[in-house]
Amino acid sequence: MGQYFTDIYLAVSSALQGMAITFKHIYKKPVTLQFPDERQVMPERFRGFVHNDTAKCDACNICAKLCPVDCIYIETEGKAKDRYMTRYAIDYNKCIWCSLCTENCHTGSITMSHDYDHAVFDRRSLVYEFMDPREARVPCHRATRIEQGWWVEPKEDKPGAGDKGDDE
Amino acid sequence: MQLLYDFFTGQAGMDLAGAQIAVASLMAVLMFTVMALCAIIFTWMERKVAGFMQSRYGPMYTGRWHGWAQAVADMLKILGKEDIIPGEADKNMFKFAPILVLLGSLLAWAAIPWAPDFVAADFDLGLFYIFAVSSLVVIGILMAGWSSNNKWALYGAARGAAQMVSYEIPLALAAIPVVMRTGSLNPQDIVIAQQGGIWNWNINPIMNPFLFIAFFMYFIASIAETNRGPFDMPETESELVAGYHTEYTGMRFAFFFLSEYANLFLVSMIAVLLFLGGWWAPLPGMGWIPPALNFIIKGVLLVFLNMWVRWTLPRVRVDQLMYLCWKVMIPVSLLCVVGAGLWMMAWGQLK
Repeated sequence: MGQYFTDIYLAVSSALQGMAITFKHIYKKPVTLQFPDERQVMPERFRGFVHNDTAKCDACNICAKLCPVDCIYIETEGKAKDRYMTRYAIDYNKCIWCSLCTENCHTGSITMSHDYDHAVFDRRSLVYEFMDPREARVPCHRATRIEQGWWVEPKEDKPGAGDKGDDE
Repeated sequence: MQLLYDFFTGQAGMDLAGAQIAVASLMAVLMFTVMALCAIIFTWMERKVAGFMQSRYGPMYTGRWHGWAQAVADMLKILGKEDIIPGEADKNMFKFAPILVLLGSLLAWAAIPWAPDFVAADFDLGLFYIFAVSSLVVIGILMAGWSSNNKWALYGAARGAAQMVSYEIPLALAAIPVVMRTGSLNPQDIVIAQQGGIWNWNINPIMNPFLFIAFFMYFIASIAETNRGPFDMPETESELVAGYHTEYTGMRFAFFFLSEYANLFLVSMIAVLLFLGGWWAPLPGMGWIPPALNFIIKGVLLVFLNMWVRWTLPRVRVDQLMYLCWKVMIPVSLLCVVGAGLWMMAWGQLK
């Protein structure tokens, strides 16, 4: 019989305790971020969508060759001093965000952004074109780039080729 | 109400029978509208209360201000859904069950006294009538579960019937001390007897501690009656998919939904009229508040209490549920009846 009343007392008191806790939470600030309006700040090394600054890129093809899923498409025309890049595209259907391309880019043009929200209606729109050849054909040869005033990597940085991409 | 009768017999030139039919139809339409409105408002309120209790916002976008139009949008969506009747279902029963469930709650709304002269059906057995017709819901739920021809639905319905039938006993027993104090089963009389501020309400523990306990017995039993957490055995999402309305879609599902929230407000309103002074203002100086507003505010506060309990306590097991009803609540409510009677005899409060 004593157990019976203890049970009732425990049930009532624990229910009241629980209700006090939930009532306190009404006045706490919600932890929710209202997503499209407010966004989480990503960590510094977050691997978001890859971005290529085509003005820096000299179409060396290293990224395309390193890419384990072959999702980077680079097209050029001409040879030597007259070599121009006409297309730089990344197919995000294939990309696995491994970051091999950005780690080995010697001009530092290809980087990983903090951007992760690229919902599309058609998977074909996931092939991102980074340049429009009608507007600018990017010269690839160093001499041509200097001549036409494009960005060129500083010469003295050449010995430490491995770290350069990160310094940029 | 008298005003309405006078209008129909006088200005509209009807005879008494015609006026009665006209008033009855008018009140039925009004009650149904209020009921649909309260389902819409309380779904939104429930989601907001649940949200804030869990440190989140709940609906925020639809209708700009705190997603107030979310429930309206949901209702419109549910109207556009396909109405599926399972091939193996008992078709006529399947179609009739949601209507019966809705009817059970709507009928009981007739005897609720909203204001001193505003009650759809003012009759002496009002309280008895309310408890009688609200048990129609049990039959509706049982029919819905059986006719769906689905094991989850049947389990849910069987549990629901067992639970609702059991909890009707403490529910009615908890109302008896109030009836003893008032000496009437008419809801309007019960409210009028609580005139004169908060200390004259039946809940006042100094006036009669047994009535105070009876209020909590009523409140717990009413949660079980409306099939809401922590006693939502008939619907247990994690065990029975959705319980008795598993197979229902579209408008038929909306009927169950509507009746759940209508029942929620109904039991809150009964608690208000039994224990919390009905449409009387809490303090004597507050007579300027319209009585109906008093009544609705108290009802909504109790609904909030209901939601607060639901989003706090975990669901109980079936055997715990039955233990609570038969071994705790019924003895305590019986004790309340006896104790309240003795208390009233001792202090000369009997009518």
